[in-house]
Amino acid sequence: MKRRAQPWLGTLVEIGIADDAGDDVLNHQFGLAFAAVAHVHRMMSFHQRDSDVSRINRAVPGELVDIDPATAEVLECALRLEDISGGLFDVGCAPLLSAWGYLPAPQEPRPAPLPASRVLQLAGDTRVEKLQSGWIDLGGIAKGYAVDAAIKALCESGVRAACVNAGGDLRVYGIADFPVAIRNPRRPTEEGARLHLSNEALATSGSYFSGRRVGRRDYSALVDTRHGQPVTRSGSASVLAPTCMLADALTKVVIAGGSSNHPALRACAATAFVL
Amino acid sequence: MKPAHAASFTTLAVAATVGHTAWATQYLSVEQAQRALFPEATAFQPDDWQLTPDQMRAVERLAHLPARSVHWRVFAAQRGDQRLGYVILDDVVGKFELISYAVAVLPDARIKQVEILAYRESHGFEIRSAAWRRQFVGKTAGSGIEIGNGIANISGATLSCTHVTDGVRRIAAVAQVMLKK
Repeated sequence: MKRRAQPWLGTLVEIGIADDAGDDVLNHQFGLAFAAVAHVHRMMSFHQRDSDVSRINRAVPGELVDIDPATAEVLECALRLEDISGGLFDVGCAPLLSAWGYLPAPQEPRPAPLPASRVLQLAGDTRVEKLQSGWIDLGGIAKGYAVDAAIKALCESGVRAACVNAGGDLRVYGIADFPVAIRNPRRPTEEGARLHLSNEALATSGSYFSGRRVGRRDYSALVDTRHGQPVTRSGSASVLAPTCMLADALTKVVIAGGSSNHPALRACAATAFVL
Repeated sequence: MKPAHAASFTTLAVAATVGHTAWATQYLSVEQAQRALFPEATAFQPDDWQLTPDQMRAVERLAHLPARSVHWRVFAAQRGDQRLGYVILDDVVGKFELISYAVAVLPDARIKQVEILAYRESHGFEIRSAAWRRQFVGKTAGSGIEIGNGIANISGATLSCTHVTDGVRRIAAVAQVMLKK
């Protein structure tokens, strides 16, 4: 397998192509796949001022915001997951992540955290309507979507088999029994479990890299949306799903809900396990 | 993957407590990176950059980061007499990972592309050893480092690459200072 990696979405994105094509063809295929990832980065970054997400966050209630079809697709999925997870998955938690220092503050004052479904609604395939002041962050779902977008680009360019891994959220296609190691959440440089993927996606979330202590309080980049508190448990949640967008987002449902049997998993044809 | 598999992995995780693994992947050699970054180039000439104290201060003002290095490993990408740009090499150390990467810069100092050359993670104490780093940096595929293919992909919590993005920002500033005369 030929592998390449580039920094996108705040992490390293690795693309592996298992094909005998020559270097020029491979370079072209890697280029298409990374361009798909870069597009997601530009549209959905919380940090870049001209991203769709930033423009939505700056919009005032009642404003219509034109967005890329990819952003609309991710928002549609996010709102559906918010609904079927009873709010455990919620991209409206950005003000909390900003207050805890995991995201910058795009403007002052910082709004109260509101469920995303109360902050915005889709108004067609390329537009959202801002309903109330609030910030969204797609950091819990966009990496998965970027993996799917890269896989799609590779598929369309004729690649027979590939794996795309965005900082630990990955998807495999055209390969049977592809080995994947899952980090041990208590000793992240070691392997905690291993499984084999075939044409499916696997994502893992845990607070072991993002966790930090400020004063006497522990913080992490994972939010328990029910109480508006950081998740600081030591374990990790992994989800197997047909797409990486679903796998990525559903890890937050498992982490926040503390259960690998939430009905939202079955509704998405996904399976979860906790280490 | 059938749901029935899930329960067994939990057990496996408890059992698999021994064995320290160092992950390493070599993505591109320097030569391969040069070709990937400037496919149309016909030659790459060593063109290392040496910053003066004034230039170091200018880099820090632009990047809002310590300039860190006086010396930068650079190759000029040529197509005949035409200068297409530069390939700048750097490595950064994270929590427990060492990343070597290459940045393609256009003649007007804009960043064209970033490619990771190698990624290695292990325990921190190994990474902090300069000698250990030297043996790793600049090695090419087939040079004895445990490489790629047999190694599984890793799923885990997202490891942020702030140190790489900071490194790229620093290189953008170095290029501004060195090229925009």
